[in-house]
Amino acid sequence: MTGPVMDPRIAPPFPEAAFPILQNTQLRKNVAHATDVIQAKRNHLVAEKKDWQELRTSAAAIRAHVLANLATYLEQFEKNCTAAGGVVHWAKDAAEARQIIIDILREEKASEVIKIKTMTSAEIQLNPALEAAGITASETDLAEIILQLGNEEPSHIVVPALHVNRQQVRDIFARRMGLPQLPDDPEALTAAARTYLRKKFLTVPTAISGANFLIADTGSVAIVESEGNGRMCLTLPKTLITLAGIEKVVPRFSDLEVLLQVLARSATGERLNPYNSLWAGVTPGDGPQNFHVVLLDNGRSEILARKVERQTLQCIRCAACLNTCPVYRQTGGHAYGSPYAGPIGAILTPQLEHMRHAQSLPYASSLCGACYEVCPVKINIPEVLIDLRAQVVDQERNESKRWTDPMYMGMKVANFAFSSAPRFRLAQWFGRVGLRFFTDKDGWIRKLPNLGSRWTLSRDLPGMPDQTFRQWWAEKEGGRSRETEPGKEAR
Amino acid sequence: MTTNSRQSILDSVRSATKADTSRYEDVPRGYIRTGTLESQDRIHLMRERLLEYDAEVVECAPPDLPHIIVRQLQHSGRHHFVAAQRVPADWLGDGVTWRIDDNLSHEEIEQCGGVVTAASAGVADSGTIVLHHGPTEGRRIISLLPDFHLCVLLASQIVETLPEYFACFPEPPRLATYISGPSATADIEMTRIKGVHGPRFLSVIIVRDDA
Repeated sequence: MTGPVMDPRIAPPFPEAAFPILQNTQLRKNVAHATDVIQAKRNHLVAEKKDWQELRTSAAAIRAHVLANLATYLEQFEKNCTAAGGVVHWAKDAAEARQIIIDILREEKASEVIKIKTMTSAEIQLNPALEAAGITASETDLAEIILQLGNEEPSHIVVPALHVNRQQVRDIFARRMGLPQLPDDPEALTAAARTYLRKKFLTVPTAISGANFLIADTGSVAIVESEGNGRMCLTLPKTLITLAGIEKVVPRFSDLEVLLQVLARSATGERLNPYNSLWAGVTPGDGPQNFHVVLLDNGRSEILARKVERQTLQCIRCAACLNTCPVYRQTGGHAYGSPYAGPIGAILTPQLEHMRHAQSLPYASSLCGACYEVCPVKINIPEVLIDLRAQVVDQERNESKRWTDPMYMGMKVANFAFSSAPRFRLAQWFGRVGLRFFTDKDGWIRKLPNLGSRWTLSRDLPGMPDQTFRQWWAEKEGGRSRETEPGKEAR
Repeated sequence: MTTNSRQSILDSVRSATKADTSRYEDVPRGYIRTGTLESQDRIHLMRERLLEYDAEVVECAPPDLPHIIVRQLQHSGRHHFVAAQRVPADWLGDGVTWRIDDNLSHEEIEQCGGVVTAASAGVADSGTIVLHHGPTEGRRIISLLPDFHLCVLLASQIVETLPEYFACFPEPPRLATYISGPSATADIEMTRIKGVHGPRFLSVIIVRDDA
């Protein structure tokens, strides 16, 4: 079996990608276990927080306020970061961001960089670009090391290696770190990673990070993490490059009092995550003396312009929506064909691709609304999903597909039949007679031919009843109904 | 190239938001900002939270501090300790070997078994130690490379809620690290493992300067 494709431009549609995964029981077991554990912790800590809803309301309002005033806050951040000794770059798209980063690294004559886990770097596919430029990118987050050394793809925003179990991690580490005797208990595996990375931290002079928040009024950057690999990368190297989407900015330092609280509880089920690092520009004698921030648009300003979709940019990447999503919990992240998986990925990925790719993702949802309920910044994901579905339909309607696609042909026929009562009645009669051939004795349809099989592949269909409601009503009323002449009833 | 991108990004952002009016002052702030616990309970909560993180916690009266520091350090089984440049001289007791951070190299810090720092604040609700990396807290690197971190926290520095901490520092620090327990990971099968890259052992002395 070939591995999952995580580039939305070439990934197969969601149902196609999900199919083989649903047969991988080991992967599903791993995903179910991990999401259960995080959810239980999260629910416990949310329940203990008396002001949880008030925090959510504030967090959503802060993020919405930032988006409404984004240009002002970006300029303020740029000004304050520059005054503190940072260099701010602007990148319209992924290609420009990659080029800016490679240019900085070339100037530093860097042959290797250490990296803090960053979703944005995966979004712009930075690692392959660095390799192509002759620069080795070494991930330092434990999960990212597992993925990098094991040639695995991420399947979750916060715990990207949750689909890999301890035996698999052991095998990867034993092979790639040259430790054939390594046991498979998580403690030993973590210790192996610590030793493996210590040398890199102390010797590689250049690091790349993402950002959880960019703070406008101080020009500082916030990184939220658990392991300490972030602190290492932010402190030991001589040069640090931070890559961040333009939506990451928040107005004031003190707004963290809301955002840190909701983020930690939602992401990992902790009151506060073990380490939060904040720094403004360059501090003489402490940490990197060359500091660059790359602000990335890559489709975000387009999302900003759309009324319903704008809320997508409120996201603080906690992944609570993944853990609670009944679809994600079955498929894990690989089926989404993008580093952004789950409900937030289903709305973010197609938009970042200007609705030209990943159009199947808005359909990868039952619209149950669980994601909206847990979202700490109140993104109404179902609302956005529906709006994106409408966009996809509009697109397809304008394509020649409408003349060949069976679904569109079917819709046209349905439209014709449903728009007149006699035609509708005729269709009902045809349906009843036709479906009789496929209806089992107990009244259920389990197997339809051709196109119909796409429905019965995964669900049964109740057979048509012997009479319609109108017929039943007419009988019950003893013929007193006005429904005697087809097509003449009240509209 | 980037100059043009800057302008074009800001232009598209402006045009996308030109109809928006949203004032910072109108952000609702209905969440709990001020705690309700008495001093004794606040310190108790801080202690409980730290213990939940497997940190070690002791309390002491101000005059006992130098003695307790040495005792805790000896207890750690380590011998070489680094300290920030301006920690009070009486913290640097006999019985262990001290390295003062006058711009020590990474290797020199790495060779120390532990570090002693002061703190800027403690947040009881989340058991968080706040470092602003001033002269008594030291450069970020000294509280990162050694495997054992002894942190001296004054009872008067402990607040109950995170918003109270932010209210205490209207002038934001240039550098800050919030530490809530020793470094940890749950990346392998969601099993929490203490100590990945930061100090694996956190020990806190709460100095009862409130009594």
